[in-house]
Amino acid sequence: MIDLENISFDHCIKCTVCTIYCPVARVTHHFPGPKQSGPDTERLRIKNPELLDDSLRYCTNCKRCEIACPSNVKIADIIQSSKWKYFKKKFRIRDYFLSHTDLMGSVAVNYATLVNFFTGLPPVKFLLDAVFLIPSKRTFPKYARGTFRKWFRKYAQKKQAAFGTRVTYFHGCFVNYNDHSLGKDLVTVLNAMNIGVDITRERCCGVPLIANGYIGKARKNARYNIASLQKAVVDPGSRIVTTSSSCAFALKYEYANLLEMDNSSIFNQLNYITRFIYDQFQAGNAPPMKPVTIRAAYHSPCHLERMGGVIHTIDVLRRVPGLELQILHSECCGIAGTYGFKKEYYDVSQKVGGALFKRIERVRPDFVITDCETCKWQIEMSTPYKVLHPVNILARAFER
Amino acid sequence: MNYDCLIVGGGFSGLTCGIRCQGAGLSTAIISAGMSALHFSSGSIDLVGYDHERKIVYRPFEYLEKFTGAAPDHPYAHCGVETVRESLFFLKDVLAAEEMEIHNNGDENHFHVTGMGTLKPTFFSQRSVFNSAISQAFARKAKIAVLNFEGYRDFYPELAITNLLNNSLFRDVEISTGKLVFPDYGDPQKNPFEYRSIDVARIFDTIQYLDEIAEQIKREAGDAEFVAMPAFIGIQNYKKHHQILQMLTGKLIYEIPALPPSILGMRLDDALKSRFAELGGVLIAGDMVKGGDFRGGLLDHVHTQNYGTARLRAKAFVLSTGSFFSGGLVSDARGIREPIFDLRVSATSPRSTWHSPQFLDRKGHPFLEFGVETNGRLNPLDAGGNPVENIFCTGALLPHYNPIREGSGGGVAVATGFHAANQIIKACG
Repeated sequence: MIDLENISFDHCIKCTVCTIYCPVARVTHHFPGPKQSGPDTERLRIKNPELLDDSLRYCTNCKRCEIACPSNVKIADIIQSSKWKYFKKKFRIRDYFLSHTDLMGSVAVNYATLVNFFTGLPPVKFLLDAVFLIPSKRTFPKYARGTFRKWFRKYAQKKQAAFGTRVTYFHGCFVNYNDHSLGKDLVTVLNAMNIGVDITRERCCGVPLIANGYIGKARKNARYNIASLQKAVVDPGSRIVTTSSSCAFALKYEYANLLEMDNSSIFNQLNYITRFIYDQFQAGNAPPMKPVTIRAAYHSPCHLERMGGVIHTIDVLRRVPGLELQILHSECCGIAGTYGFKKEYYDVSQKVGGALFKRIERVRPDFVITDCETCKWQIEMSTPYKVLHPVNILARAFER
Repeated sequence: MNYDCLIVGGGFSGLTCGIRCQGAGLSTAIISAGMSALHFSSGSIDLVGYDHERKIVYRPFEYLEKFTGAAPDHPYAHCGVETVRESLFFLKDVLAAEEMEIHNNGDENHFHVTGMGTLKPTFFSQRSVFNSAISQAFARKAKIAVLNFEGYRDFYPELAITNLLNNSLFRDVEISTGKLVFPDYGDPQKNPFEYRSIDVARIFDTIQYLDEIAEQIKREAGDAEFVAMPAFIGIQNYKKHHQILQMLTGKLIYEIPALPPSILGMRLDDALKSRFAELGGVLIAGDMVKGGDFRGGLLDHVHTQNYGTARLRAKAFVLSTGSFFSGGLVSDARGIREPIFDLRVSATSPRSTWHSPQFLDRKGHPFLEFGVETNGRLNPLDAGGNPVENIFCTGALLPHYNPIREGSGGGVAVATGFHAANQIIKACG
């Protein structure tokens, strides 16, 4: 029997508008585009899974097709769920390592200097390329020494009790294992706004697991995170924030739509950080900022676009005195999480981002600003510019 | 969030209104759920093409002077003919600022060729569809080659030519056909691509293929002076590449609007969005307004799918959500509704009167003339019949006009968007 709940593909009127705005179909003829890979062939796959076409692996799950669709078809969700429903499970050590970010991170931070040194060595890169199909041209994000949680417990946690209002911070893997400074800056910013920060138990939000087909594990993490976070927001006034736009997107939308989990107990209280700060500013909690003298180009990540969060980031940034902000035309950077770390997609990934890189070069900013850590890796690797998070900018403006 | 003007619907009408408001210094946001009907349009802008007897209108403004007097509920009558004219030339300037050339035949309509090979009267066209060189070539009955791209499924030159030759204007014109191929693609039948206009447009957008394409055009067109192709000559680089192709081939190259996705329509969409962003407007894409709250007879705020409980406030709201196709109107067993605010709708009853028994009825279908009832300022009416003075309805959402029968869809979208903007600017200023 066909599941009658899942017939959003039937609303597709075959207008092909999604394919126009697909960043992957734009650069490669090997991807037939979201219409064909999604609603067109879903009806075939439902009848007979043998009719699965390998080309739908090219989809990066950027969700731009869903933004473009005039008929409200969940095109990217259809393609994503087909990937894990119909492809035969094959264990691939590379995909396992790329997607289990918290496992990798918790080991690597103990030997960060060593790991960073080795992953930068040409012979190691050559080996990774030849054996594991991780492109040698790709630079690896650096691991930090120790975890953000450890730092937070040691240096920040005690001071937080002094604040009457506190929020729960879902820091995610990137802050915990790669970039403590973003987490530290978040504490600076919220404390400057007279808000304390709590952390609670969390696991990887599941974005890389979903992308690599580890759906069982993704659901397990989702269940864990929902249970842990809902304990933190028993009081309806309490809030959860994240500094990763993709974590926020997963916790709010991928959990409900793709993993079919009930996240209603946290949905309304959980927000990406700039939305939270925007609301605070609107409510009058806007401490004075000092000028920053930065000329920056802002890149809006796909998942933030899908959530409709871009206007909050732009609004918050526009309030920073001295920040000269150039908004870049909204385009995918191409990395799509772990996609750009795979040899078979590396060239596509770089081509997708090509237009964005050119635009950044034309602006010649001091910095690029974006909300997503993987966009940051992609832009830092492919352009000469350093990439900051909106919270990094706010921290500078709030610093005493 | 707080704006002077919040527009629900990012189509032709909403964008025109947004550009006018933002350009006049009002803080303006547009919320858009999916791409608009411009992606399904001819890319020419019709003002009024046919009178009530389906006869072709050659001088639209003159016609409208008389017509609007007799049809006081028509959107053009609400705007006034002078505003209609002003709005169209405002649009032409907006597009010129984006380096998009729009051509008109003075105050008269001109014709564009359709994918079926029929002729349609229209007011504005893009350079590759109408300009003086093209009209001179038509007048001298220059030889035409209609070319197609092999593997492209949405255009059948033989059909178009048969229809064209039935038209008295083309009776003694020599028309040939030919095919272009893209060698790197191999056998198109085995390719996963299904060759829609967008796929071919991407080839034309890529400069390194132009020499090869030009050679093929020369070979296939032979001694024809005039080459007609479906509109797929690029999106980002269409202007430059169209010129390069004309230079390399020494022929006039004409674009025929084809089936969706409409490349000509997308160019308009791109240019308008780019202009709106350039002026500092905020486009909220991929979100849907779910409802709003009224206070003292005025709309206070709206809320959306993505923003959940957050309120979006504005001094004035514009509803340019389109007709049935775009979801601005919905029909069910009970009747026709406007789904966001349940505004009062003009429609006939019972259901059997909504459509004509023939699919291609020359008079068009009655449901095309349904829409949200407004006063002359385009304000909708509340349950008590009083106008809601800070909501303005524009474009295909409006009743009492038939875009298909009249050939007036584009003009009404632009004129009512502009008319609403003028009043909002006055009210906010």
